[in-house]
Amino acid sequence: MVDASMEFRPRNYSAERQSHVLPRVRADVHPFSDPSLPVTQVDVVDHGNEDFFDPLRGTNDDEKATPSDHGVMCEADPPTKEWTSFSRLLKQRFPVSKMVSISLMPDVIIRSGKLHEKSSTSMHLEELDDPQKFADEGVRLITWQEYVSRLHELKDDINRSWLADDRITSLKLSIKVAKLLMDTSVLQFYPTLFVLVTDIMDMLGDLVWQRIKQKAEFAEDGTLICNLPDNFKASDVCSEAKETCNNWFCKIGAVRELLPRIYLELAILPCWRFLLDQPADNLQRLVMMIRGLADPVACAYCHLYMAHCAQKLPWHDIGYLITCVNDIRVILMLNLSTNQSTHGSVTGNKRLLVSLVEPSIEYIMKCIFKGLPEMQVSDVLVELGLRKNQQIVGSVPCVSVVLHHLLKELPIEVVSSNALEILHLIECSNDNSFDQHMNYRILGFRLYETGSPVDIINSVLDKVIQVIAQYDGLDEYLKVVEAYIDLVLQNQMESLLNTILEVISERAWNKGVTEDELPSLQSLLVKLLSHFKCLEDLFTLNHFSEILDAMYGNSRNAVFMHILSMATRTDHIRDPTTIQFLFEISQTLHDNMEFMHVKDDDSQVARLICRFVHKVDYGAEMERQLEFLVDCRGAFGRLNELKETLVHLSNCLAIQALKYAKKHPSFIKTCITFSEVTTPSISTPSRQLDLFLETAEVAFLGGLVSHSDGLLDSAISCLQSIDIRNGFRTPTDVEGLVSSVRKLCGFLVMIPGNSSLQATYLPSNLFTLSSSYSWMEPKMRTQIFSAIILLLATLSQNNLPYHANAEIPGNDKLYYGDSSYKQELVSLSKLVLDNLVDVIQKEPSQVARGTLALEACNCIASAFTSSNEILSACVTLIETAKSCLSVRDKYLQATIQFVDKQLQTSGGSVCVG
Amino acid sequence: MSVELKLSRSNRIYRPSEPLEGKIIVKTSSSISHYGIRVAVKGSVNLQVRGGSGGVIESLYGVLKPIHIVKRTVEIKPSGKIGSGTTEVPFSLILRKPDENLERFYETFHGANISIQYLVTVDIARGYLHKSLSTTMEFIVETDRADLLQGPLPPEMVIFYITQDTQRHPLLPELKSGGFRVTGKVSTQRSLSDPISGELTVEASAIPIQSIDIHLLRVESILMGEKIVTETSLIQTTQIADGDVCRNLTLPIYVILPRLLTCPTILAGPFSIEFKVAIVISFQSELSKSQKKSDPRTPRLWLAMETLPLELVRTK
Repeated sequence: MVDASMEFRPRNYSAERQSHVLPRVRADVHPFSDPSLPVTQVDVVDHGNEDFFDPLRGTNDDEKATPSDHGVMCEADPPTKEWTSFSRLLKQRFPVSKMVSISLMPDVIIRSGKLHEKSSTSMHLEELDDPQKFADEGVRLITWQEYVSRLHELKDDINRSWLADDRITSLKLSIKVAKLLMDTSVLQFYPTLFVLVTDIMDMLGDLVWQRIKQKAEFAEDGTLICNLPDNFKASDVCSEAKETCNNWFCKIGAVRELLPRIYLELAILPCWRFLLDQPADNLQRLVMMIRGLADPVACAYCHLYMAHCAQKLPWHDIGYLITCVNDIRVILMLNLSTNQSTHGSVTGNKRLLVSLVEPSIEYIMKCIFKGLPEMQVSDVLVELGLRKNQQIVGSVPCVSVVLHHLLKELPIEVVSSNALEILHLIECSNDNSFDQHMNYRILGFRLYETGSPVDIINSVLDKVIQVIAQYDGLDEYLKVVEAYIDLVLQNQMESLLNTILEVISERAWNKGVTEDELPSLQSLLVKLLSHFKCLEDLFTLNHFSEILDAMYGNSRNAVFMHILSMATRTDHIRDPTTIQFLFEISQTLHDNMEFMHVKDDDSQVARLICRFVHKVDYGAEMERQLEFLVDCRGAFGRLNELKETLVHLSNCLAIQALKYAKKHPSFIKTCITFSEVTTPSISTPSRQLDLFLETAEVAFLGGLVSHSDGLLDSAISCLQSIDIRNGFRTPTDVEGLVSSVRKLCGFLVMIPGNSSLQATYLPSNLFTLSSSYSWMEPKMRTQIFSAIILLLATLSQNNLPYHANAEIPGNDKLYYGDSSYKQELVSLSKLVLDNLVDVIQKEPSQVARGTLALEACNCIASAFTSSNEILSACVTLIETAKSCLSVRDKYLQATIQFVDKQLQTSGGSVCVG
Repeated sequence: MSVELKLSRSNRIYRPSEPLEGKIIVKTSSSISHYGIRVAVKGSVNLQVRGGSGGVIESLYGVLKPIHIVKRTVEIKPSGKIGSGTTEVPFSLILRKPDENLERFYETFHGANISIQYLVTVDIARGYLHKSLSTTMEFIVETDRADLLQGPLPPEMVIFYITQDTQRHPLLPELKSGGFRVTGKVSTQRSLSDPISGELTVEASAIPIQSIDIHLLRVESILMGEKIVTETSLIQTTQIADGDVCRNLTLPIYVILPRLLTCPTILAGPFSIEFKVAIVISFQSELSKSQKKSDPRTPRLWLAMETLPLELVRTK
C-alpha cells in the first residue's frame, strides 16, 4: 500500500441485495388487466356524451333554446355574433384590390372637412332631398384604405355628433353613408362596402333605440317613469317617447332616394316596437319596397340587410323571407336571360353577379330554415313554388343557385324522403347561374348525411351516374362522384364502384389530370382508403393503381401518406410486393419533402416512414431484413430520426440473431458494423453517444469485445462534439447526457481491461474529456465525476456485481490480486476526488451547490473506507452544504447520519452543532 | 339678463280648446323691477302672392293683409320685482274663449304663399329707461278632437293607369312608339297621421325606366279682389323605383306626410289649401342627363306622369 490514507470500501453485493430487497408476493391479477375497467369506461363515455357540447356540431341547440318572447337586446347577442362572422367571411370572399376606381365619387367621401360646417348651419329637411352633388363625372381613383378610413371617420363623426346632442347631423351623415350603397359600379367592392355601411347603420339603429328607450323609461328631469320589460308592449311606452320615435320614422321617410330610405328604416326597425305590437308587419311592406331597386346586386344586399335586421325583432314570420327569395329569383332569372344587358352578354360578368348575390341567398335560406318546424317545411316549399299537391314539382325551373342553397339548408328528412323529386328538380334547373353538377354533388352529401333507404339510394345513384357519364370533363365527374362515393361504399355496390373507377382512370389517362381536378381526386381516393381495412383489399380494386399513377404533386403525396398510415396500422408488413410498393411510395415522399415549407407535413412524412420501416418484418430471413435496412439508409438519407430507427433495428436484429440463430458471428458483426457506420451520420452528438453505447452493448453481448472497445471509444469521443452553445441547453438535455454517461460507467464495469492499454484507460479518458470541456457546467461535471468514482470503487472489488457472461472474464478475474491495478484505480480516484471537491465550489446557484455537495459526499462515503483524506473531503463538502442549505434540510440531515455511520466518526467531527 | 319660454309639451302641439301652458324663465344677475309680465298669443293666416300668376297685381298687393285667428294678451303678474338668479313664472292661457268666435282655428301650416302660424310672446315691461325683455315662440295648433271626423276614414283608392296615350305633353318618339303601361292605385283621402298608401305595377315599358317618384304637391289659392291666384308647388319627392324594375311586380306606395308642411285640406273663403299626389315615371334617356337640374314637375319628353287630388283630414 503506497497510499494507506485512501482505500476503497469492500462490498459484498449479494449480501447487500439480500438485506435491501423487498419481499415479493405473487399477485393474482395483473394490475393493468382489470376486466371491469373497459365496461365502466364505456359508461363514462356515454354519460359524458350527453352534456358534452361539441362546438363543431352547429348551433341547432342554441336556436331551440332561444325563446321567442325574449327581448330585443338580450336576443340580439347571438345573431350579432353570427352576423359579425358572416360579414367577416363576406369581406374575405370578395377581397378588394388596392385601388378602387369609382366613377361617381360621392362628396361625402371626398370633402371630409367641409361637412361639419355645412350641417350645423342649415337644418332643413329639404336639404336632405337635394340630389347628390357629384363632384364630377370623371373617374376618380382612391385607394381602398382611404375609402375605408374615410368611412371609419364618418362613423366616428356620427357618434360624436350624437353625443353632442346634434342628432340631426348624425342622421344626415348616416343618410349620406347609406347613399354610398347606391353605387354598384365596382361590383367587387360592393360586399365590403356593404359590410362597412351596415356597420354604421347598425350603430345608428342602436343609438336611436337607446334614446327612445331612455325617453320611455325616464322623464326629462331624470326621474324614472317605468322600467320597460324585455317583452314590453307599445301601450307601455309613454307618448313622449312615441312622439320621438314617430319623428324618426318621419325624418327617414322624408329621404327622397329609395335605397337609403329602406336601409335607414331597417336600421331602426326594432323601434317599431315602441309604436306597434306587431312590428313585423312592416317587413312585408319593406320587402315589397325593395322590389323598387332594379339593380340585382343592390337589391340582393338590401334583402340581406333586411334578413339581418329582422333578427332583432322578438318575433317575426318567415313569410317575408320567402318573398325575398322569390324576388331574388325573379331578378336573377331576368338578368341571366337578357342578353342585351348594359354589361354586355359576357358570361364572366354574370358569373360575378351570381357570386355576389349568392351570400345573401345563403344567409336568407339559413334564416328561413333556422328552427323551422318540420311541419312548415312543405309550406315553405309550396311558397317557393317548388311543391304542389304534396309533390315537389320538377317542371317548374328554379334558379340553380337558389336551389343549391335550398338543398344545403333543407332538413335532412325532407331531402331523404324527396330524393327523387329533388333529383328531377336539379335536372330541370339548368341555367348558367350555378353549375348543375354542384347541385348533384350537394344532394349526394345530404343523402349520405341521412342514411336513406337503399332502394332510394339505388335509384338516385342510377340516375346520377347516368347523368354524369355524359359529362365531358373529368373535373365535373369527380366533383359529383366524390359526393356519392360514400354512399356507394356504404352500400357495397362493387360493380358501380368498378364502373366509376374505370371511367376516372380512362379519363385521367386520356386527357391527364389538371391541377383543379387533383383535390377532388385526392378526396375520392382518401375516402376509398379509409373505407378499406387493408392495403390488399385496395389492390384488388381495378384501376386503383392506374388512377394513382395519374396523380402528381402534393395531392399524390397526401394520398401516399394516407396509404402509408393505413398500411402501418397492421402489426407486421410481410408481403414483399407490399413492402416494395410502400418502399417506393416512401421514397417518392422522401424525395419530395420540402425542407423549407410546411414543416408539419414533413415531420409527418418522417414519422410515417419510420413507422413503416419498423413494421417491415421478413421473419426468419434476417439477411433480407438487414438488406432492407441498408436500402432504407440509402433511400431516406434526409431523415435523421430514421437513421436512429435503423440503428435500433439493426441492433435488434443482432440480438435476434444471437437468440435464435445461435452463433452467427459474421451476421452479428455485419449488423454491428451497419450500426457503427450509420451512427456518425446522425446530426445530434448526444443521440450518437446513446446509439454507440447501445451498439457497444450489443457487440459485447455478441462477444465482440474489441468492437465494443472501439464503440465505447467513439461514444466517449462524442462528448467532444457536443457543444452546449448549439441549442444544447434545456435541463432535459443535460439530464439526458448525464444519465447516458452514468449508463456508460455502469457498462464499463463489465468491460475487461485491454492488455495493451492501461487498465483504467476508458475511465481516465472519460475523466480527462469531462474535465477539459469548458462548456460542461459544474453540476454536470460533479455528477460525471461521482459516477467515475463509483465505477472505480466497483472495479476495485474482488467480486464484480455483474458480468456479461461466463465467456468474457471481468476485471475481477483478469486482475485478481494485482496490486498495481488497485494502485491505478486509487490514484485515478484520488485525482477525480480532488477535482470533484473543487468543481462543486464553482456552481453558481447556492441551493444547487449544497445539493451537489451532499450528492458527492454520499458517493464518497459509500465508495471509500474511513481515512483522514476522505474525512476531510467529507467535512469540506458537508460544510459547503451547511453554508448553502438550511440546517433542517432533510437531505443534509440524512447525509450527515450516513457519513457518520459509514466512516465511524464521532458525531462531533463531522456534524458541527 | 334673459328670458325664455318653455311650453308644457315638448312637441308644442295644442288644441284650441286646451289651455296653452308653460313657464317663463327669467335669468338675471341682479334683481330687477318691472311693470308687469304679459303673455300674448297671436294666430294668423299670412298670405302673399309671388311668382308669375300674380302679374301686375302682385306689384300692387305683394303681401296681403293677414287674417287674424286669435290675438290676446294676458297679464301674468302685476308690476313688481324679480330677484336675482333664475325665476320661473308659470302661466296658462285659454286659446279659444267659448263665447268669442272670431275665426276658425286653422291648423298650423307652412306653405309657399300661405302660412298659418301661432306665436306666443312674453313681454316684461321695464318702463322707459330700460328695454323691455321679451321673447317669442311658435306653437302648433291641431284641430280639436271634438271637431274631428268620427270613425276611421273609408279606404278610398283611386285606380290609375299611365300609358303613352294618357300623357298630355309630347314624349320621346321611341317612347311614344314603343309604349309603356304602368297601373296602380293610390289613396286619395288620407288621414294626416297615416302614410299615403297604394301600389304600382310596371306592366310594360319598351324603354328602360330610370326612376319612379311620388311627388307630394300643395295647391295654394288666394282670393285677390275678383281673382283667385293659384300656385302649385312641390313639398316632397319620394322615390319608389330606382332603375328598370321588374315588370309585373307590385311596388308599394308609402309616403309619410311631413309635419307642418301639410295640414287638413282647407277651403276657406279668402284662401284655400289643397294637396295633390303625382306619380312621375322617368325613362332612361340621353336627354335627361343633359338637363339635370330642372323642376321635376315640368313635363319633359322622357317623363310620364299622373296627378291625382289628395284630400287630407285630421282624424282621431
